[in-house]
Amino acid sequence: MDFFTESFHTALDLIAARDPDVVSAVTVSIVVSLWSTLFAALAGIPAGVALGVSEFPGKRWAVTLLNTLMALPTVVVGLFVYSIISRQGPLGGMGLLFTPSAMVIGQTVLAVPIMANFTLSAIKGADPRIIPTALTLGAGPFASVRRLVIELRFGIMAAVIAGFGRVIAEVGVAMMLGGNIRGYTRTMTTAIAMETGKGEFALGLALGLILMTVALIVNLFLNFLQQR
Amino acid sequence: METLYRLSNIRKSYGQRTVLAINELVLRPGTLYTLTGANGSGKSTLLSILAFLSPPASGELFFGGAPVRWNNAALLPLRRAVTLLHQSPYLFNGSVFSNVAYGLKLRAIRGDEQHRRVEEALMMVGLAGFEHRRARELSGGEAQRVAMARALALGPRVLLLDEPFANVDRDTSALLEELVVSLPGRGTTVIMTTHDPEHPDRLGGELIHLVAGELAGPLPAAA
Repeated sequence: MDFFTESFHTALDLIAARDPDVVSAVTVSIVVSLWSTLFAALAGIPAGVALGVSEFPGKRWAVTLLNTLMALPTVVVGLFVYSIISRQGPLGGMGLLFTPSAMVIGQTVLAVPIMANFTLSAIKGADPRIIPTALTLGAGPFASVRRLVIELRFGIMAAVIAGFGRVIAEVGVAMMLGGNIRGYTRTMTTAIAMETGKGEFALGLALGLILMTVALIVNLFLNFLQQR
Repeated sequence: METLYRLSNIRKSYGQRTVLAINELVLRPGTLYTLTGANGSGKSTLLSILAFLSPPASGELFFGGAPVRWNNAALLPLRRAVTLLHQSPYLFNGSVFSNVAYGLKLRAIRGDEQHRRVEEALMMVGLAGFEHRRARELSGGEAQRVAMARALALGPRVLLLDEPFANVDRDTSALLEELVVSLPGRGTTVIMTTHDPEHPDRLGGELIHLVAGELAGPLPAAA
């Protein structure tokens, strides 16, 4: 019990002191996660909508593939992106490896299937009258799908929240593509992994508490947007 | 006399089952048609084809004398002339006003003209002053009337009604019946499905009766 109490006090001390390392890790975590969530939403939501409203041969296979991609291990994504952006890779010349941009790319790849799948689920569960109602009131195909998305905004915001939850909590991509560089690519999760490795359990747990609090605040904000 | 719809050898099937088989049917503008038949007789399928929402498996549909081409570009102006009101209508999330104004916005009717048409339509269904109410908080009868107002605000050439009085109380039913009967006089053709055996006589107009997807009994007068 002392261990948890100590961790809690350490967390409060770190926050109160505005420890620069902690502030930096929190900032990198939030900034990278928000950019990843944004890019993943821009790709994943339209993909989920397109898959949900269209019929084509092989659709079942596409859905199965999407479900499989949801279970992608973060280290596999990290390895895949690493092979593309490392010096020997096709995008090696861009110098992306061990930068926040590399982390954003990896986390976006991680979150796209989640957002697409959640969006697809929302569309599958949608009221079947929405699109015919929009069409009979004079909407074209694009406008009717737009109406569908507006009607399903709660489900689609859930997709965004799930994607954000996945990227802010992951460690594999951040570690492999960011390199855990202090003050630059160190996130809360890579810092926790490092501190735990050093035997600084209380500090690791304190960072974990801060991570949970940050995730809670961002989710509360997204929930607030969802309710509007 | 002018022809509004002409159906020629229209067939529609779901799997192996033929749900609609109409060899020839002509519908005139400015007329009230009541469409009767047992459950599964093809009434809703026919309405869906007449609303240009679902193409027939075979046959030709003519609207205003021209054959209907079932591609999105050709269908948009046709769908904007015809509105289908489902027996259990879907109201969009938001206010009554935003629901009734939806089709008007799609037609780029905005500002004062939009407000005037929304208010007029709500007045016709006895819901004046309901503009700011949340659509999802209305009773079943009120929701039905808002859906009717949403269709009427567009001034459609054809109003297709699928069991419009099935889920409403007696007062609402009387109000809607009176409204429906008055529409052909204002230039709107009404094609309405009903299970009520008294409706065809009470509302007047012409009767179309379907049995197992085929026309039965005397056909409405052709053009």
